[in-house]
Amino acid sequence: MRMLAQEDENDDGAEVNWEDQQRINSFSKLNARLKALEERITGLKQEKEALDDLSTELELADEDQLVMYRVGEAFLHIPHPRALKRLERDQAELDKDLATLVASSEDIEKEMKELKVTLYSKFGRAINLDE
Amino acid sequence: MSTGEVEKQERNARGIPKAPFISNVDEYLGADPDAESALKDLQAVLAKYRYMDGNLTTRRRSLEEKIPDIKKTLTMVEFLQERREGKSKAGEDGDDLDDEDDLGDEVSKKPLKTTFELNDTLYAEAELEDTDTVFLWLGANVMLSYKIPAAISLLRSKLSAADASLQNVISDLEFLREQITVMEVNIARVYNWDVKTRREKREAAEASSGKKEIQA
Repeated sequence: MRMLAQEDENDDGAEVNWEDQQRINSFSKLNARLKALEERITGLKQEKEALDDLSTELELADEDQLVMYRVGEAFLHIPHPRALKRLERDQAELDKDLATLVASSEDIEKEMKELKVTLYSKFGRAINLDE
Repeated sequence: MSTGEVEKQERNARGIPKAPFISNVDEYLGADPDAESALKDLQAVLAKYRYMDGNLTTRRRSLEEKIPDIKKTLTMVEFLQERREGKSKAGEDGDDLDDEDDLGDEVSKKPLKTTFELNDTLYAEAELEDTDTVFLWLGANVMLSYKIPAAISLLRSKLSAADASLQNVISDLEFLREQITVMEVNIARVYNWDVKTRREKREAAEASSGKKEIQA
């Protein structure tokens, strides 16, 4: 990829050919994807924090008392040990989701970095790919 | 661009045509360049892409609202299912409930108490009798009763269908955004070309008239 960009430099520096256009397009596409992923990741992180708080809260709670645990949109009055079990499961699920999202956002970042190298090497200051 | 050309155009998986990329404006405009009408055509195509973009964005939003709703319903129905299974298994199979055998039995005698949102900020308590049937809201003021396993499989299929169509919408939106960028670049190129040619023409005219003045 880099070889091609350097060859391109030989003809007019500012000329954007189809390959460059495609690179710019995929960069902007990846950027949009990354933004959406980051949004979801922050959302999940908040949820994770809430569950972590809940877990400390449950540790302190009286084991004989019923716990109001949220499932869907209703709160279920369930015994303490059951709530703990559900919480553990919910946490595990959340961690798994979070891990997949983080992994794919890292993949995207890597791809964007490669594109940046190629595009900057051709257009230099004429293009701005950073915020 | 004739209709024949449009039909031949490349399309994405759901039939959105690909935008043509103009690499050489001189070539694109042909022997008799008319930048203004070319710009008008390009802008019309861009407007179409923008319109599709708007439609799909709305669809994306509605799907993004729908999916969590289905998920919530599904977790609730799954909970009910687990509760029933847990009860019937509690006696022989302590695998899942080993440290709560006594509690498990105690729970099964009592109906499950829940607190649910009756209306915004107003909560009420409801007791759930042991049940193998749930009612699913199908829309258009219709609710249908389902056995729990049937409800779960219905909700799961709905969820995966909604997920799949959301993925499609997202990839369409990405595709559209690319086409919009290409069209914007095209328009900018034709526009710049037009400005440049006009300036060259003017300069040429000025140069020749300047010469005349000098001669005179």
